[in-house]
Amino acid sequence: MSKFNSSLTDKEQVKAVKNTAKPVRGTVIISGGIIFLLCAFAVSISLGAADINLSTIWNALFNFDGSVTQHQIIWELRFPRIIGAAIVGAAFSVAGALMQGMTRNPLADSGLLGLNAGAVMMLAISFSFFPGLPYVYVVLLSFFGAALGAGIVYGIGSMSRNGLTPLRLVLAGAAVTALLTALSEGIALYFNVGQDMAFWYAGGVSSTRWSHLAIITPIVIIMLFIAMRISKSITILSLGEEVAVSLGERTVRTKLISAGVIVVLAGLAVSVVGAVSFVGLIVPHLTRKLVGYDYRWIIPVSAVVGAILVVVADLFARTLNAPFEIPIGALISLIGVPFFLYLARKGGKAI
Amino acid sequence: MLNALEINNIAVGYHNRSVINDLSVTIPKNKITTIIGPNGCGKSTLIKTVSRILKAEKGTILLDGKAINTLDTREIAKQMAILPQTAESPGGLTVFELVSYGRFPYRKALGSLSKEDYNYINWAIEVTGLADFSDREISDMSGGQRQRVWIAMSLAQGTETLVLDEPTTYLDLAHQLDILLLLKKLNIEEHRTIIMVLHDLNHASRFSDYMIAMKDGNLITKGSPEEVMTHNNLRTLFNIEADIQECPYSGHPIFTSYHLSSQDKNYE
Amino acid sequence: MNQYKPAGLMKKQRRAAAVASIFTVLLIVLFLVSLNTGVIRIDPVTVIKTIFGSGEPRDELLLFEFRLPRITIAVLIGMGLAVSGAVLQGIVKNPLADPGIIGINAGAGLAVMLFVSYFSTELGNSVFIMPILAFIGAGAAAVVIYAFSYKKDEGVSPIRLILVGVAVAAGISALMIVLTLKLDPRTYDFVATWLAGSIWGSNWNFVLALLPWLVVLIPFVYMKSRVLDVLNLGDHTAVSLGMNLEKERRILLAAAVGLAAASVSVSGGIGFVGLIAPHMTRRLVGNKHKYVIPICALIGAVLVLTADTLGRVILQPAEIPTGVVVAIIGAPYFLYLLAKLND
Repeated sequence: MSKFNSSLTDKEQVKAVKNTAKPVRGTVIISGGIIFLLCAFAVSISLGAADINLSTIWNALFNFDGSVTQHQIIWELRFPRIIGAAIVGAAFSVAGALMQGMTRNPLADSGLLGLNAGAVMMLAISFSFFPGLPYVYVVLLSFFGAALGAGIVYGIGSMSRNGLTPLRLVLAGAAVTALLTALSEGIALYFNVGQDMAFWYAGGVSSTRWSHLAIITPIVIIMLFIAMRISKSITILSLGEEVAVSLGERTVRTKLISAGVIVVLAGLAVSVVGAVSFVGLIVPHLTRKLVGYDYRWIIPVSAVVGAILVVVADLFARTLNAPFEIPIGALISLIGVPFFLYLARKGGKAI
Repeated sequence: MLNALEINNIAVGYHNRSVINDLSVTIPKNKITTIIGPNGCGKSTLIKTVSRILKAEKGTILLDGKAINTLDTREIAKQMAILPQTAESPGGLTVFELVSYGRFPYRKALGSLSKEDYNYINWAIEVTGLADFSDREISDMSGGQRQRVWIAMSLAQGTETLVLDEPTTYLDLAHQLDILLLLKKLNIEEHRTIIMVLHDLNHASRFSDYMIAMKDGNLITKGSPEEVMTHNNLRTLFNIEADIQECPYSGHPIFTSYHLSSQDKNYE
Repeated sequence: MNQYKPAGLMKKQRRAAAVASIFTVLLIVLFLVSLNTGVIRIDPVTVIKTIFGSGEPRDELLLFEFRLPRITIAVLIGMGLAVSGAVLQGIVKNPLADPGIIGINAGAGLAVMLFVSYFSTELGNSVFIMPILAFIGAGAAAVVIYAFSYKKDEGVSPIRLILVGVAVAAGISALMIVLTLKLDPRTYDFVATWLAGSIWGSNWNFVLALLPWLVVLIPFVYMKSRVLDVLNLGDHTAVSLGMNLEKERRILLAAAVGLAAASVSVSGGIGFVGLIAPHMTRRLVGNKHKYVIPICALIGAVLVLTADTLGRVILQPAEIPTGVVVAIIGAPYFLYLLAKLND
């Protein structure tokens, strides 16, 4: 197992963090990323079952005319969808980054660790027992489900003497996912909501509406804000519990806040897009390569990169096999699985 | 003098990093031979190559005159037993059970232990002083006793040659001596060829008939303890200045204290 | 009595025999309970009467054409998955390996699903093709997993094998989701039920399709029990004892894949049996595979038959897929193990 524990000593890590904090680079990447994201927005809006040119998009934005069908498509379907995708990407990525920093575990991801399965199970319950539940409550149930999944996995981890080794975490995640998925399947089969669920969680962000965004956007913004506030503590926590304590960090408080943020972000993302794995795994790794090990930069850059990833993935999901949509979760897994394999082969030293 | 092992011009490495470039050395039969050298000198790599866990990129290793890469692995196991440095002890095994696995190379897929198998196992348990423990769970035993059980397993293999990679590591002083005396006894009473890696130079000198000293994957010197344990050799090998005396028990050279060659002042 | 045998060995042997008898009795009792459980209850006396050929035609039909084959299949699947798990755990030397968790079941599932989606579920002979397809799918998954966890000079590290397996399982699940959406609702229902692990093939053809795999592979694995014992001592010791490590590992892996694939082709996604049964066995009789293999087969059979019977009873008249019941029992047990074990 020692291979998976970071090869650097604590002192070396402190040094590495200091040397790799790259404010200039970070600022450039964030601004570049936002520009790129806006371009991706434009491309994504114009491409689709009905192609729309850029000037129409411009007009739809600034001279909206309700009688033009294309303007309606843009406002009612494509816009909310793209914003939904960006929010989901940012939420999964920041949740992943926090999880990896907090557990010092390079393989942490909400999908692999049972959070997503928990949220899905709560959705199966809401589909079966409370069909037509207002969206706000669906989102709330989803948080609860994510918290359930996370609670079990971390509970198991903290009960064992050796703590959360990557292997243990991944296995606990796989088992919790299996359990919660089995329960969802049982519920879905019994109440005959199976294919509805399948369409829902494979359907990606296509069903996002302004009314949904009105609920989730403020929550995500608040969570990202809190994540930024604790980012410095997360950096110190990522050096190891002992170092953090000896540096005077209140680790329990940081962990609790961080866990709350993770659960809300993951639950919310799942309630929009379904059980998409690997976003929270890939993005923080890429981000660390770009801006180093300081979470004050990792968190905002992860949010931007994650948004780009999901928006682009959604674009491909819509256009590769048009007019049919490829489930976005499957598409991301096709990138995510090789990436995970690469990390597992490398021995996971990347954190 | 007959040779148990003949190592000719071998090169070994892992992860594209070569550890041994070109090493030739012979190991005499019916003697205790100890390989010494500083960390990373290639002594464990050499043992692993001899025990066919690593493959030599070139060169040959002859066991009783035959190249080991041409022999069937079971045939080798009947001639040479190897005790790895990190022997894992699975839970739930008794001493007898673990020692009985030493008969693995002789057994067919099905069928129970033969009378000959039982004789070997019981002898191995007897000679290692474990007769009273044969029904004991290994997980309940001390480190020194466990090492005896592993040695017993290797003995049950009924081989002429016994190869041990740092058999005394992790043991306290008394248990270290205990294991080495056991090996000496096996060498004298049973004429076994014993090849081992030891970190403790005094132990190596005291118990060996023949020593091989390595550094940076190369053979530095070989010969009797008197020939190897010299002031100059120790300086070359370990960069130490040692005050060499004679061991009151074996008559072989040992040293009680040392300091570093590079150190210009000793703050003592 | 063998005079050379120490008392400890005899004790272990007696213990193994005792455990085996207890579980055999348990299996027989369960068998009878399961026979008279269902929407139509048949009392035990009638069951026994019918079995010995003096029952009513209606009971005969129900028992021989519906319940008996289903029970037989549950027993066989339990054995197959349990032994597969025991072998995998022996190979990777990690008590947490299970054909479900490391992606072998998913591979088999994908192959079967492809077949079901593009051909029909009604094809008469498909029953016999399914295990073969499942084997190909599971084999492909195993090859991928093995290839990715193999490193030159290091061989296959158990930890890497498990991590890679989890990733491959995730990837295959993603592919399966894509496929599910293209199915018409009827096929979808079939596939969903199958994926959730229900013993759907309730006729004798499935028994015939499954049986040859188990009849060949379980005794084969049993013959390799000493190899598994020695593997347990660590790679270096195994090599030193004259074992051809990579070769034996591959052969055993193929056998484990075969057992899991054949079972999964009939049962769908039943996980955790391959994990729990061997673990319970090791706790009861120790680590000797001579005892572990047959006893874990028995425990596996008891486990799946219990889950299948429970699934038929709990929400009558609806049935809960066996896999769901097994996961609900199995996952907590797995998590308990995870919390307790030190790796």
